[in-house]
Amino acid sequence: MTKDTKNPPIDRVDGRMKVTGGAKYFAEFEMPNTTYCVIVGSEIAKGAIASLDTKKAAGAPGVLGVFTHQNMPPIPGWDAPVQGNGNGPPPGPPSGGEKYRILHTNKILFYGQPMAMVVADTFERATYAASLVKATYTKQPHQTDLTKNLEKGVTPKGPRFEDYLRGNADAYKSAPVTLEVKYTIPIEVHQPMELHGVLAGWTGDDKVMVYAKTQGVKGTQKSVAEAFKIDPNNVHVHTEFMGGGFGMGLRTWPQEIAVVAIAKKVGRPVKLVITRNQMFSLVGHRPTTVQTINMGADTNGKLVGLSHAATGETATYEDFTEGTVSMTKFMYACPNVSTKYKIVPLDRGVPIWMRGPGEATGAFALESAMDEMATKLKLDPIEFRLRNYTETDPEHNRPYSDKNLKEAYQKGAEAIGWSSRKAEPGSNRDSDWLVGYGMSSGTFNASKGGATARAVLNADGTLLLQCSVTDIGPGTGTAMTMIAHNVLGVPVEKIKVEYGDSALPNSPQQGGSTITSTVGSAVHQVCTSVKKSLIDMATQSGTPLAGIKADDLTVADGFVSADGDSSKKVAIADLLKKANLTTLDKTEESKANGKPDEQKYSMYSFSVHFVQVRVNPSTGVVRVSKAVSVADSGRIISPKTAASQMIGGVAGGIGMALTEEAVIDHRFGRIVNNNLADYHVAVSADVPHTETIVIDKPDPYINPMGAKGMGEIALIGFAAAVANAVFNATGQRIRDLPITPDKLLRTA
Amino acid sequence: MNQFQYMRVTNPKAAVAAVSKDNTTMFLAGGTNLIDLMKRGVEAPEKLVDITRIPLNTIEKTATGLRIGALAKNTAVAEHELVVKNFPLLSMALNAGASPQLRNMATIGGNMMQRTRCSYFYDTALPCNKREPGSGCGAIGGYNRMHAIFGTSTKCIAVHPSDMCIALVALDATVNVSGPKGDRRIPFADFHRLPGDTPQKDNMLQPGELIMSVDLPMNGFAGNSHYLKVRDRASYAFALVSVGVGLKMSGNTIQDVRLAMGGVAHKPWRLTEAEKFLKGKPATEATFKQAAELAMKGAKGHGENDFKLTMAPNSIVEALKTAAKTA
Amino acid sequence: MKDDEINDGSVENPGSSRRGFLKQSSALAALAMTPPAALTAVEKGLDEKLAVAFEQIPLKVEINGAMQQLKIEPRVTLLDLLREQLNLTGTKKGCDYGQCGACTVHVDGQRVNACLTLAMTTDGCKVTTIEGLAEGGPEGKLHPMQEAFIKHDGFQCGYCTPGQIMSAVACIREGHAKNPDEIREYMSGNICRCGAYSNIVDAIMDVKQGGAKV
Repeated sequence: MTKDTKNPPIDRVDGRMKVTGGAKYFAEFEMPNTTYCVIVGSEIAKGAIASLDTKKAAGAPGVLGVFTHQNMPPIPGWDAPVQGNGNGPPPGPPSGGEKYRILHTNKILFYGQPMAMVVADTFERATYAASLVKATYTKQPHQTDLTKNLEKGVTPKGPRFEDYLRGNADAYKSAPVTLEVKYTIPIEVHQPMELHGVLAGWTGDDKVMVYAKTQGVKGTQKSVAEAFKIDPNNVHVHTEFMGGGFGMGLRTWPQEIAVVAIAKKVGRPVKLVITRNQMFSLVGHRPTTVQTINMGADTNGKLVGLSHAATGETATYEDFTEGTVSMTKFMYACPNVSTKYKIVPLDRGVPIWMRGPGEATGAFALESAMDEMATKLKLDPIEFRLRNYTETDPEHNRPYSDKNLKEAYQKGAEAIGWSSRKAEPGSNRDSDWLVGYGMSSGTFNASKGGATARAVLNADGTLLLQCSVTDIGPGTGTAMTMIAHNVLGVPVEKIKVEYGDSALPNSPQQGGSTITSTVGSAVHQVCTSVKKSLIDMATQSGTPLAGIKADDLTVADGFVSADGDSSKKVAIADLLKKANLTTLDKTEESKANGKPDEQKYSMYSFSVHFVQVRVNPSTGVVRVSKAVSVADSGRIISPKTAASQMIGGVAGGIGMALTEEAVIDHRFGRIVNNNLADYHVAVSADVPHTETIVIDKPDPYINPMGAKGMGEIALIGFAAAVANAVFNATGQRIRDLPITPDKLLRTA
Repeated sequence: MNQFQYMRVTNPKAAVAAVSKDNTTMFLAGGTNLIDLMKRGVEAPEKLVDITRIPLNTIEKTATGLRIGALAKNTAVAEHELVVKNFPLLSMALNAGASPQLRNMATIGGNMMQRTRCSYFYDTALPCNKREPGSGCGAIGGYNRMHAIFGTSTKCIAVHPSDMCIALVALDATVNVSGPKGDRRIPFADFHRLPGDTPQKDNMLQPGELIMSVDLPMNGFAGNSHYLKVRDRASYAFALVSVGVGLKMSGNTIQDVRLAMGGVAHKPWRLTEAEKFLKGKPATEATFKQAAELAMKGAKGHGENDFKLTMAPNSIVEALKTAAKTA
Repeated sequence: MKDDEINDGSVENPGSSRRGFLKQSSALAALAMTPPAALTAVEKGLDEKLAVAFEQIPLKVEINGAMQQLKIEPRVTLLDLLREQLNLTGTKKGCDYGQCGACTVHVDGQRVNACLTLAMTTDGCKVTTIEGLAEGGPEGKLHPMQEAFIKHDGFQCGYCTPGQIMSAVACIREGHAKNPDEIREYMSGNICRCGAYSNIVDAIMDVKQGGAKV
């Protein structure tokens, strides 16, 4: 393998399973005598349960139990004394641990909070019985509107969230050209196609099997073990296939722990699949966020000062934070930069990172503002960005490990036909439609965490790879296969990968665009170790390859052979036989790169998005008619699945830009459009043919493959490209996502 | 979902008899709305009478036009050659609704019977006079971006969600129903009702009455028809505003016209004033704008849906332009 | 009007729910399908388990070529029947309200949402799910649409995929795959949150142009 070689596109290794219906998701595993659990959620946003009538439900046919705060079986890890009030803070680790507990007190902290869990022998009976549970409440006034509570914003703890200042915070004010603008994004909700839930059954007094919908089986394993104070080895968590996550599976939700407890109590496996309505309240969301950008530039188009303030929502019982203002600190060469980030506790379920997380929110503001300033300066938006391009990271004063953004701008511009863009907004018309072009950039931290992988090379030339990592869709198994193939030369079809099970070697959860780098490094390392053993065995004295240096040998297709002399080779099968081995079995731990601040280089992935939109000025309808996304994320391991991640970012980005908004009726504190008919994720007709371009140059420092993540950058910035294109088409600047027809008609 | 008794009938008489008996029995046709409502606890019939095996799915020529069986599926009607040829507006409206899967399930009669998609109607924890008379209207002063601008009452501002019905009201359809007291014909424009003080009643059907068929009179609009649906996403979404147009042109003069709007009222909204105005006028943007202005008389926004006061007239003009092929 | 009066052969009551049954003074239709002993037991309110039997009614449906003779509650949807009772989990539950298309199956050759289809309404019908799409079964040769989805990577997480494929096959059979725009419109009843639409359209175009029998 040489990392300077581009990888060929290969089919997804789990493709057959997915197209035949053979792939099993958590709710599809068979456990004998499985029972069904249905959650009854609160109908108020704040207060307490005054009474809970469960009698009818308990007496309904097939019902095995109705669990409430009054009769919930003990969860030792929950019941341990904790500091603070009765609702927290929690035991357990911040990721994967419990921060609030359900069915624990009568307090209601947000609308939809579980008040009862009904278990019956069939799904239909459990569902019906749940409808019979009736509650009365002691209501308290709730606060669910961020815009009315901005003054309550607090700066979260931790160095990442402190106010940032470089140079003079007020420098923008005295610049020749200034911009002061406010942007908002609404609540967006992950809504993976697979509903959340869990299937759990105890196989012994202190042993439990958990089929979960989690982005990290090890995290879930730890959460369950801590909640029930049992040996983690006795908690078996399986998530080989996950029907999308986008961040909502990055923690163990309290209802999962509750189901495990209930399964123990009823003595049968319990399956919980929450409803699509509940997906809007029980498993997090992208927080609504208000941002202001202040920008000053000189007449040559150089940034003089930049400040970015963001306030996002969190829950009353837990702090949620994300990197909303991160990008502003390092994206452009600007001597004076300040950022502020605050969170406001609301009577709402806690948010959780949603694809691109805060960076996607922040990039909408920053990259819209860059476009607004370019307009003021009468500069092409790409040119404005190039004038403020930086080859070194101004936040850390160090070079980027790898940055090819100029090339990305150029390639994207060519592909979309940027030269057809008219600088004058509203001047490009195609019959009744206005046509506009927009672009933006995105970036996300690239890192390498620690992970362990096992490789088993068999005498028949097949290779088994194992790691507990989950594959929520990006094609992790396919990337692992490609990396192993590159190191060991084993044909792709002879490699089997096993993942998504807590019995397998350690992996972090899949999130934050780190897995190809992290798990890929472990796979690379363990395969390299296997290769070294093979070469050691092959070059022992008395063999045809004796004395040849490792660098001059190639391992491929079942043989170790000398470079340049293919007659000199040894079959791997013979090597194993000679050593009395049936397999070569290695497990290796690959270490994390360490804290980003301690690195010599700043490591980021970058993206550039280009869109062409068509806007109907009479109806306000916007259609994205062309999309091009360019990824600069190091060496691409699996080109096919990587391209799919990018087109997926486009579809998600179109939703973020044009259609997605969870609406709260603040009188009730409830999300009123809590279903997929009213919360509009993009459908096929919304998404044009999408062109993806990868720069595909290895990052020399991040990991042996030179690969960086792309899950986040596929989305980060995209919404701004659409908003900028809408401005170019119409002259109307929408700073409040999503850009729905009513907003364009209102500002017309 | 509650447990219910399920029975299957094979003729209309038996269906009517079964449902007339008590008000806890309902007809089940395509189920695309009823089953959904039952899952949400909005409807909880004790008996369901499955009428899908009644042979009421024919589409046939009559002396005066076309008769469409109430149980014909939306897809079958939309793609039927007689419909495509003679009533393209109906075909377009049907195809603008829901998804191919739902159109394969949904029937013509069921489409007429579908309930509003108002969020407050669907959420049993929130007030809704339509679902629970007297509980109040959540949409007034609440989330009402999808709601009505015509014919609202202090009790309800919901809209009828159907696309098909916009075409049917524009095309002067008549509904044939059969009930315990016999058969009767209801002009389509009178089939649905405004909310008034009884928003729980969507239409003029009497208990136990079964929709048998819909009659469409022949017309001269086939050459210049258009259904414009403005929605938040490009497909699979309910209308913010929709407009159905049929024009009978003589050169550039409008000989006759049918105009109706969706997404604006509790019933399919026929624009009679605008039609009268357009008759005999030249098909120009100026006359279309005047017609749209007339059509908007009496429109009233409720806050979040104020944009419809702009979107609706603009859409009327757009749809007229497209139908007249002046665009 | 009593049940017996309307039961001129045009009413088929494949069973009677317990509640409805107990309410009715004259339940002839139900009687016909109810074991007398059980009836007595229920009337006396003796045995909940026997009562349960009344809530299950017979259903005969052909699924993927195999005739199934079942007893189910009338409120069971085709989707839950497939997934929870027949272990045909290839058909997915995405929303349960007809808003996403993950549960798309073919009933008598038409694509429908299994979540809004009461299983009882499929009595006498032929149902095809993703497991029955390929002629050789799940282990055998793939259907051309399945091949094309792999070739064009028309998915990521794979959860919406069976519904997409069932819909895609129908899309071609219906004659709605003439060009990418038409495919986009006629595939809009299947939401893919991973956003693989662009590849799905390519896969369908490929199959359509390849001319393979779908």
